Amino acid sequence: MDRRRFIKCVSCGSVLAATQTELVPEILGGLQNVCAFEYTNELSEVEARYYTKLDGGGIECGICPRKCRITDLERGYCGTRENRNDKYYTLVYGKACAMNIDPIEKKPLFHFYPGTDAFSLATAGCNVNCKCCQNWEISQQRPEQVQNIDLPPKEIVDICRARSIPNIAYTYSEPVIFYEYMYDTAALGHEHGIKSVMISGGYIESEPLNKLLPHLDAIKIDLKAIRPEYYRDYVDGELQPVLDRLVQIKNAGKWLELVYLVLPTLNDSDAEFKELAGWIKTNLGPEVPLHFSRFHPQYLLKHLPATPTATLERAVEISRAEGLQFVYLGNVPGHAAESTYCPTCGKIVIERYGYRINKQNMKGNVCRSCGHEIPGVFAG
Amino acid sequence: MSRVIVTKYKGTGAGKFYDEKIYRLLLDTVFKYIASVYPEKYLQQLFPGGAVGMKTNCLTVFNPTMKPLADALSQAILDMTSLKENDIIIWERTGRELKNCGYTLNISARGRRCLGTDAGGVGYSDEFYNSGSVSSLVSRVLTSMVDHSINLPVLKDHSIAGLSAGLKNMYGAVHNPNKYHGRNCDPYAAHVNNLEPIRDKHRLTVIDAVRVQYDNGPGFDNDSLEWHNGLIVSEDPVAADRIGLEIVEYLRRKNNLPPLEKVGRKVAYLDSAQELKLGISDLSLIDLKVITIDDYGNVIAEGSELF
Repeated sequence: MDRRRFIKCVSCGSVLAATQTELVPEILGGLQNVCAFEYTNELSEVEARYYTKLDGGGIECGICPRKCRITDLERGYCGTRENRNDKYYTLVYGKACAMNIDPIEKKPLFHFYPGTDAFSLATAGCNVNCKCCQNWEISQQRPEQVQNIDLPPKEIVDICRARSIPNIAYTYSEPVIFYEYMYDTAALGHEHGIKSVMISGGYIESEPLNKLLPHLDAIKIDLKAIRPEYYRDYVDGELQPVLDRLVQIKNAGKWLELVYLVLPTLNDSDAEFKELAGWIKTNLGPEVPLHFSRFHPQYLLKHLPATPTATLERAVEISRAEGLQFVYLGNVPGHAAESTYCPTCGKIVIERYGYRINKQNMKGNVCRSCGHEIPGVFAG
Repeated sequence: MSRVIVTKYKGTGAGKFYDEKIYRLLLDTVFKYIASVYPEKYLQQLFPGGAVGMKTNCLTVFNPTMKPLADALSQAILDMTSLKENDIIIWERTGRELKNCGYTLNISARGRRCLGTDAGGVGYSDEFYNSGSVSSLVSRVLTSMVDHSINLPVLKDHSIAGLSAGLKNMYGAVHNPNKYHGRNCDPYAAHVNNLEPIRDKHRLTVIDAVRVQYDNGPGFDNDSLEWHNGLIVSEDPVAADRIGLEIVEYLRRKNNLPPLEKVGRKVAYLDSAQELKLGISDLSLIDLKVITIDDYGNVIAEGSELF
């Protein structure tokens, strides 16, 4: 009970995640006066979905392409799913370790209800290990190594309703590893008209994604590179399943945006930018937004410099030349490539500064200047 | 050559859980044979000062590193060196695991310490250590609290690694053990043990092989247990595991089970560890002594054959 502390949001903005990164919120921020949260030392014991029992003992996890084979008392690669006597459990159901109310632009989702907020949350754990991870202090930890609070799906939905927050974002770490928690929250949210967005690396098996898609309204995928060797050496994952899932999401008609974190010397060649844009145009279409994001040195790649703005501009230029219509530049506040331009008349339809929207020159989803329909999900 | 001592007990208590006294008899025998100097001198050279950490394996309450072994080893060190009670730290990933396995937690400045990495003020290192493709934070018990490390695992089969003994036990010293389980833990088990604090502070591996689980590990399986009645001890962590592997394979043969390689669990990480110069995996380069004692610690058999 020594770690167990009761936090009254009314009286303080309390530290939640054991982290100091920029992206994971350190305080409960906008959640003051809404409810009280309690730290917990207990992990959940909710049966996981998508696993098969193996002949001769053990189970095979079916949530992500890694397909971990796990025997009694062992956990999968993600560190959040455990075999207990050949029953597979998620240990993080309802155990949030980071949450905040963020602008939807922070995800980033630029074509999904711009200017709205998203109740954003994460649990510990991840099914890959990116050497550039900005949130490794939660993503690369086991759930007992961070501070968690009990936050069941109903409570999240109640907070959103009480505060008129229209979206829930599963983000910061990797929502695939808290699939059951995300699924139930999204389903419950829909019952109350609250939308759900998944911010993910897309390293998930086809079947669980298929089942989840009806409960999601938008998805942002980090496509970390277009070359398999990068995924092997810097992600500890595979490229092809991610590409397959992108096509699956697109074919399901869900709103999709992509982020490509540009790492100096590792995935920043002209050839890669060209290949990336070409693949997106061919397989997903030219209207899928692509965000080139600036890397800041951290985690295991502290020796690399931050991405030069010129490199990002080159990436934007090459992608536009390849035919992509909505290419953005991220983590460089104030840059012209943060704004949305109408592909027909070239005028700014959404002007941004960082996560803030300065001006919107659209009527519904149509450019006010020329009437071109801007793809995305916009308020009527 | 690396020396490995296997001490076996053939007294009235064989085939039962040992008390501290029997473990002490086994350990005293080890210290007589492991070096060419007197046991006191040997231990004083090994632990000239500072603090000694003993990393247990308390994954399962049914087959953990036995507390009487940790107590006997602690007492032997205290009896034969100038170290004080508080210089001994018995540790695990979490205090809960230790507690569940019968250990009494103590983080105070008096008496032998016994704690988990999750204890207040302990935690993991601020800096990452790297060997191979994965990087890890290492328990501060190893990085800041102790000068010497004794690996105190149990010997058992492991569903992924094939063998769980000393090298595998150090997965409990890093913050992200789940990232090291691919490809039957090869070369990952070697890489974990090549992380600087783990590699540089290792002094001794003492494998509890009194009761060996030769199949269905690392969780407990009562039907796959045999009393082997011994300890495996070496300064070479790889050689100790190599002998442990011989015992597991022998017990599998004896119980009509195929070799680990045939069931897709070849223990290749020991060869990888040898390549990293962590120790010797090649049996022909291991100087093995097998000593059997009776209830009084008298040597009743001595040789170099395990079986």
